[in-house]
Amino acid sequence: MIKLENISYTYPHTVQKALHHLSLSLKKGSCVMVTGPSGAGKTTLCLAASGILHHEYGGKKEGLVTVDAIDVKDYPDLTALAQKIGIVFDDPEAQMIFTTVEEEILSAIEHRGLDVAATEERLASIIATTYLDELRNRSPHNLSGGQKQRVALAATLALGNDILILDEPTSELDEHATKRIVAILKDLKVKGKTILLVEHKYVHFKEMVDTLIVMEEGQISAIGRPDVLLADDRLKKIVIADFSGIRNLLEKTSASTKSDVAPSPIIKVRELSYAYGDILALDTISLTIQPGEFVALVGENGSGKTTLVKHFNRLLTPTRGDVIVNGKNTRECSITDLARHVGLVFQNPDHMFFADTVKEEVEFGLKNLGITDGEKKIDAALSEVGLEHTRDLYPRWLSRGERQRLAIACVIAMQPAIIVLDEPTTGLDGNEARLVLEILKKLQQKGHTIIIITHNRDIAINCADRIITMEKGMIVSDSYTGGN
Amino acid sequence: MAEILAYVHKDGFFHRLHPFTKIAFILLFGLMSILSTNLLFLIVLVIVILIIAYCANLSTEVMQQFKLIAVMSVILIGLTIITMPSGETIGYLIPSFIPVIGGHLPITTGAIDFGLVLTLRFMVLICVFQLFVISTQPRDIVHTMERMKIPVDYTLMFLIALRFIPTLQIEGKRIHEAQLARGYNPGTGILGKVRSVAPIVIPLVSNALARATVLGLTIDIRGYRTRTRTRIREFAFQTRDYSMFIVLIAAGCGYVALIAKQIL
Repeated sequence: MIKLENISYTYPHTVQKALHHLSLSLKKGSCVMVTGPSGAGKTTLCLAASGILHHEYGGKKEGLVTVDAIDVKDYPDLTALAQKIGIVFDDPEAQMIFTTVEEEILSAIEHRGLDVAATEERLASIIATTYLDELRNRSPHNLSGGQKQRVALAATLALGNDILILDEPTSELDEHATKRIVAILKDLKVKGKTILLVEHKYVHFKEMVDTLIVMEEGQISAIGRPDVLLADDRLKKIVIADFSGIRNLLEKTSASTKSDVAPSPIIKVRELSYAYGDILALDTISLTIQPGEFVALVGENGSGKTTLVKHFNRLLTPTRGDVIVNGKNTRECSITDLARHVGLVFQNPDHMFFADTVKEEVEFGLKNLGITDGEKKIDAALSEVGLEHTRDLYPRWLSRGERQRLAIACVIAMQPAIIVLDEPTTGLDGNEARLVLEILKKLQQKGHTIIIITHNRDIAINCADRIITMEKGMIVSDSYTGGN
Repeated sequence: MAEILAYVHKDGFFHRLHPFTKIAFILLFGLMSILSTNLLFLIVLVIVILIIAYCANLSTEVMQQFKLIAVMSVILIGLTIITMPSGETIGYLIPSFIPVIGGHLPITTGAIDFGLVLTLRFMVLICVFQLFVISTQPRDIVHTMERMKIPVDYTLMFLIALRFIPTLQIEGKRIHEAQLARGYNPGTGILGKVRSVAPIVIPLVSNALARATVLGLTIDIRGYRTRTRTRIREFAFQTRDYSMFIVLIAAGCGYVALIAKQIL
């Protein structure tokens, strides 16, 4: 179906090759999963395989890409290629053109030359298979990241093509929603669709993957049957994140902090409720977090996790109830005051980068707090996350994994007692995810309180001391893990 | 969060009108407001629009614009006072009791009058355009523009521009929150506003540019350039559209008559 022969590609204005002599062949009805560290060229591979690179991008291209045995260059334009290939890009928001979910999906069907009845029928069936019925009239911009991904997938499926190229279609989805997507894709594979999948969640997809590819530095470093590849220890660590043993990095110190006579809580939430307009996002939540705890906040998309943590530094003020941080009611503190105590790392690191160099980026927070001996703190923070070598680079040139770590560095440089991270492992491969968690664990060792929001139960179980599960704006379970 | 200029899913009479009828409505009201310098007539136009918004169940959305309009009117009237003095002087921007610099920048009736005309014009233009955008799905706008034989590139440009308004608004808020969490406190006043530009605008523009690429690709992939489209769920011209047209034509004729008789 798709064949790439000896493809090399260099983006405009860059020197380094994004793809390096890469060859790959996709057989009809097969599922090929590509994984590897961020910045390895996975997205560029998707662009190359779909012909987008040849039609829409400048830069230096070598090699041959064929779709159904025809050179992609011989297709008149992207629209012609899109008759055969459906692609889901990694940024779901960018694929939302319209103002209701239904309109979004319909827009993909109505140019396929079907008659009215067939169009309606396909619309109904796509909405049913992707479970979007209740979101039908909602605006895509107001959906959660996970819901947006489902809409993006639905719109691509609606094209009805035989080849699907999916660039991290489940990165923002929780466990439950990921399983749904896996089920949909499995079904499509049974129906004979060819799937090229870029993913970090091998475990979820293992039953349907025929060929596994590990990409590193623009090259395919390993390709073959999953079981063969996974026999290699080095590759396995990239493909499947292994969080085991992270807790034991510091068993001793955590034991000593635990033995202290009940310290006063660092965060105390008293009957907190919060409503976005008419919608109650948090419903009478009470919670106490002790200094030095490593808390994982888990729950499905839209269960109120992010809304809860935004109260810790007063990005949101409670509709009812109180949040006490470090003994002070947040109602009486300004966000700037709270930034000294609570560092919040958002899910998408690109929302914060604006400086010309990594160093200036970290410095920004320090300047805001009026900290003067910045240099030392910047170096310390950068070395903490392993980014010393990027000090003078432009932040947006870093890979996703590096940008995630830079976002953490920006926050830890400010030395807040509490560090909150929203989905810190999104889009990272096994090694990178582990690295981020090791960094967090070390910070805990230094006495910081760590709160992470995650969909990944594995992370919660292996790294956190305490797992709080949220559902529909309420805490449904709160338990300590491990030896504590 | 209330989004500006995004389609609102409601069932009102304006929603049910054919987009073409609504475009005619915008054009007529826009034209009348631009050509007219009569304060009273402009006020009548605004009142008519508000009545329509109320009947169409969209008055809350339209009223949201009034904060912006209020700010704009102050700026506009201020500018006309400074730049276009005419008519009688009724006071000074810098009161005359202040020594040395007092008694300058006269506030004149002509300037105020013109400032008000400008404000009301903008009010009409903003409100009609908003009524159109919030009551019409972008898909229908695109289809109608297509039918009007507007080149596909222009249609898609318009679509993307519309599409980015709420996105930029939401993104801007997220970026603002992310920077606040880093202790960012630009302060108030003009200096604060200037200082706040880089940390918000740079990520906003960088992200929007990255997004625009993918958005463009998505539009192409969905086949918006093919122009072969299943004619599904399209608006048909109905009695209400014909009635609206009759009203619009009558209003247009009335307006011409008023001008002819030199009442306006």
